[in-house]
Amino acid sequence: MDIVVLVKMVPDTESRLEIVDGKVNESGFKYMVNPYDEFAVEQAVQFKEASGGKVTLLTLFSNDTSIDTDLRKMMAIGADEAIVLRQDGYRGDRPSANAKVISGAISEMNADLVIGGVQGIDYYQGATGPMIAQMLGIPHISGVTNLEMNGDKFTAKRQIEGGLQVIDCPGPVLITCQKDMTKVRFPALKDIMMSKRKPFENREVSLNEENDIQTNECSLPPARGGGVIIDGESAEEKVDKLIEKLKTEAKVL
Amino acid sequence: MSSIVVVGEVDGNEIKDVSQQVAAVAAGMGDVVGIVMGKNVAEAAMKLSTAKIIIAEDDSLENYDPIKFSSIVAQVVEQTSSTKVLMGATTMGKDLGPRLAAELNWGYLGDCLEAGDDGFVRPNFAGKVLAKSNPTSPVVASIRNNAYPAGESWSGTVENYSGNIPDSKLTTTSIEKVGAGDVELTEANIVVSGGRGLESPENYDEHIRPLANSLGAAAGASRAIVDAGWVPHSHQVGQTGKTVTPDLYIAIGISGAIQHLGGMSGSKIIVAINKDAEAPIFKVADYGIIGDLFEIVPVLKSKLGN
Ligand SMILES: Cc1cc2nc3c(=O)[nH]c(=O)nc-3n(C[C@H](O)[C@H](O)[C@H](O)COP(=O)(O)OP(=O)(O)OC[C@H]3O[C@@H](n4cnc5c(N)ncnc54)[C@H](O)[C@@H]3O)c2cc1C
Repeated sequence: MDIVVLVKMVPDTESRLEIVDGKVNESGFKYMVNPYDEFAVEQAVQFKEASGGKVTLLTLFSNDTSIDTDLRKMMAIGADEAIVLRQDGYRGDRPSANAKVISGAISEMNADLVIGGVQGIDYYQGATGPMIAQMLGIPHISGVTNLEMNGDKFTAKRQIEGGLQVIDCPGPVLITCQKDMTKVRFPALKDIMMSKRKPFENREVSLNEENDIQTNECSLPPARGGGVIIDGESAEEKVDKLIEKLKTEAKVL
Repeated sequence: MSSIVVVGEVDGNEIKDVSQQVAAVAAGMGDVVGIVMGKNVAEAAMKLSTAKIIIAEDDSLENYDPIKFSSIVAQVVEQTSSTKVLMGATTMGKDLGPRLAAELNWGYLGDCLEAGDDGFVRPNFAGKVLAKSNPTSPVVASIRNNAYPAGESWSGTVENYSGNIPDSKLTTTSIEKVGAGDVELTEANIVVSGGRGLESPENYDEHIRPLANSLGAAAGASRAIVDAGWVPHSHQVGQTGKTVTPDLYIAIGISGAIQHLGGMSGSKIIVAINKDAEAPIFKVADYGIIGDLFEIVPVLKSKLGN
């Protein structure tokens, strides 16, 4: 079983978001592995441990930032190798252009399973996975909370409104992981040491134009003014005042 | 005027409210054609508030399948020479939208807060930034629930889908209902969420769930108590959980970390109950009660319970 894991680098969740001339100032951003993708790495490694094969991390990222440490951490979990597609002018908010480049790389790899996170915590489109599947001409199942492998068949539980859709599918298939899927292990020291010797390839790719919709202007959402603190002598008085306000002022009850 | 396809979604015998909202938005943008796919969906499909409704009914469409659904919508787009496809940002819409965009070679905008002739607005960085675009090329967009008022139920002209339905290697074997009776977080008008201030999973069950039930609300959670295993991840609100935009969000024993705020600060009205006056949640709350949740919540529950 050869598995390709899609790993996206996203701005750290503590990054300061400042708008300059209608654009997010990204100069101070630090990047981290998209948390959802870590579940995918763990799941891929578990499958490899159960039935052999190879786990390849595949990342598309800009040319100027080193991400070796971040990806080595994923290799310490058990991934065998990393391929980083380096692109001048890379942006994380161009799912269709990015999916084109990534699917091009995957099509040369003979993967039985392509797996990644359900969405990037930067732009939240959840788009790259399904787009790659369409471009490769394979099925996809998104938002999966539980994935089992029996021979070359997969059974996925996909989160839907009010329940789980249980889906069978033979490989090759593309899966995107929800958070509940796996518990990411803490690698042992020897695995961390070993990870430093695993193959790590940086590969130049060119920038392509696709049909992605350009953002014209970014803004910060209107600040929510802190509202009123409801005071009162007792819990009962506070609650009465709250309910009154929710009914007559806010009109949401 | 250009044509717009609206993908309608059915829930039992009803058309989903979010589909009616999307239909209403689309009505301001051009000639609207609705497409509803499923098994035995005709009755509900006819309620979709679009001037023309195409119904694709087949046993093989009983459960959502990205390959079949994407192909059907792509064929409807071609047949109607449409330049936009709009759908609700449901678990189906967010899955179908990008696949369809790739099949059509169009752009995609996911989980939009606003859509209209003067542009689309979607959240970046969990809603901490709003990104506006004015697409001039064809686009598929999914639109978040509660962003717009729903269109009235009325039936336009109805037509049966006449294109083909491709084979798919995906087979849905069952639908598992989780927590019967629970209201879905992303569709709820009211969300009651609990955090670490509750101290134990038993207290979540004793204080949060009954209050949610009595309000017809969904029960949410902070990541702290999801990670602690008190409730499943499907309850998590925030940057690595669900984004909710209800009319009323009640945060109980939640500090209001930036990653939590990302998932709920788009709510219309926010109420916070926390014993720490300095808790950041009060910075976004419209109404705050500073106090011990174990004193406040039982009173709240008894007053709202009837
Ligand atoms: C990459 C990343 C992603 C994350 N994603 C998310 C996410 O999606 N969602 C999310 O929620 N978090 C997320 N977090 C975690 C977040 O940073 C916080 O740790 C988490 O939200 C805290 O949860 P909490 O408010 O329940 O707990 P705490 O921060 O511990 O707050 C508990 C609150 O309860 C109050 N309290 C205690 N006892 C009482 C009482 N008796 N009565 C009233 N109030 C009381 C306290 O004053 C305190 O404010 C993420 C973090 C990272 C690093």
